[in-house]
Amino acid sequence: MNSAVGTPPAVTEETAAFWAAAKEGRLVVERCSVCGAESFPPRGMCRTCRARAMVPVEITSRGRVYSLTVNYQRWLPDLDVPYAIVLVEFPDHPGVRVVGRLRGCDPEHATIGMDVDVGFEPGPGGFAVPSFVAVASPHSQRASE
Amino acid sequence: MQDWFERRAVIAGVGQSAIGRQLERSGFQLTLDAILAAIGDAGLTVDDIDGLAMFPGGGSANLPGYSGANLYEIQDALRLTTSWRQGQVEGMSLPFYGPAQAVATGAARHVVVYRTVKEGSAARNAGGRPAYGSIHAEAAGPLAWLLPVGALSPVCQIAPYAARYMHEYGVTREQLGWIPVTQRAHAARNPDAVYRDPLTLDEYLASRMISSPICLFDCDVPVDGSTAIVVSAADTAPHLRAPIRIEAMAGVIDGRPSWDQWEDMGRVGHATGAAMWERTELRPGDVDVAELYDGFTIEAVWWLEALGFCGTGEAGAFVEGGARIALDGELPLNTWGGQLSGGRLHAAFGHTVEAVRQLRGEAGARQVDGVEVAAVTNVGGYEAGAALLTK
Repeated sequence: MNSAVGTPPAVTEETAAFWAAAKEGRLVVERCSVCGAESFPPRGMCRTCRARAMVPVEITSRGRVYSLTVNYQRWLPDLDVPYAIVLVEFPDHPGVRVVGRLRGCDPEHATIGMDVDVGFEPGPGGFAVPSFVAVASPHSQRASE
Repeated sequence: MQDWFERRAVIAGVGQSAIGRQLERSGFQLTLDAILAAIGDAGLTVDDIDGLAMFPGGGSANLPGYSGANLYEIQDALRLTTSWRQGQVEGMSLPFYGPAQAVATGAARHVVVYRTVKEGSAARNAGGRPAYGSIHAEAAGPLAWLLPVGALSPVCQIAPYAARYMHEYGVTREQLGWIPVTQRAHAARNPDAVYRDPLTLDEYLASRMISSPICLFDCDVPVDGSTAIVVSAADTAPHLRAPIRIEAMAGVIDGRPSWDQWEDMGRVGHATGAAMWERTELRPGDVDVAELYDGFTIEAVWWLEALGFCGTGEAGAFVEGGARIALDGELPLNTWGGQLSGGRLHAAFGHTVEAVRQLRGEAGARQVDGVEVAAVTNVGGYEAGAALLTK
């Protein structure tokens, strides 16, 4: 699957740390050094206490699929389809939801609630983009339609 | 009774250009067609118009370096709930919201607001519906988290809402398919609709998947066409042909203003619905026709529940079989065919035109009997606007 087809992100003061860590295969979100709340995407301001003292924190724990879609439409000429796009939340990191691709299972077998590991793969413009890895489960079933 | 500002405004006229999959005329000429039609429909002349608006906000800076922090990202960072916004493309998410403010405050007497689309031609010229944001070299703002991972269309961005909704409430495609199927039957009675041939539930279920669970017939149809609306000060009503009252309107963002970060994807637009009902004595049971935004089927589902026509998670059962939402049903839905069959005129312009025509009794073969209250909504999710129009 060629995940490098598409539009690269514009990198800003707020998002530079995320994309730099992504290249190293690390998922970095913001953590408030005042109240400890975590948030994503990075805003440089705490969404809980509004302190402007955010520091990067890495997420290494397993995530869980909040929702998903399997894209079948070839929006761009060289786009390989189908592929699953998952919205992942982290039981150990409330307040954080990250969108990414999904690997490690047939896209049509992806389900809401399935567990995934953090991962990245080469994306557009030389960026590494979130690409979560399905955790093998004997109970995986077809996504709700 | 409070003096809500929208009561000082009326919708004076509506007008449209030709509407089609591809029209060989410029957007500029289509716009002039629509504006002149709307002004004539209002019973006004061009010289009466003293306000003009384009919606959604258009235009772009011709110099680099105009920073323009994305309004939704600023709202997200500040964790605000807002009931008024300006500066984002969809603004207040209702085309007549800003014009109503203008005439209610005396800034203008008669405002024209228009929306022109050439998306049918654009899709043809690109050899297919283009990827979202593909006119830009980089994905900026909220799109920076979507386009690079392959969420290349609004379909991909809204599909997770549909998946989550169906998962939480056990709603099926076999139920929701009755929305496009029933709206197609309405379109058959609308000579201006783009798709008028019957659509069966089997054809719906067999259509190709675009981004699951959204299939082809869950997506509105890109068209060429222009719509204009004249919004006038209510005290000019004696000079207008057939003005329509704005009973109440609202557009509240009470969650994270982001397609991917919205907290509860099974429940969308409810704050806007609640705010609208606070501004009126009318209740959901008073609504005679519902012109609910349907860029995708799921958006009409959101509005059925957010406005209280049925309970949360109950829209599947509500629309199943199509009887309730048919022209002779308890809540005729998107009586012109909606954007799914009538054409993607965008931003509730087509929905507003239809509400006005139904209220006036000018809807021809698709006229619903005795329409006194019409609901109009736009988009959904965080870009949610809702209004009640009355005779």
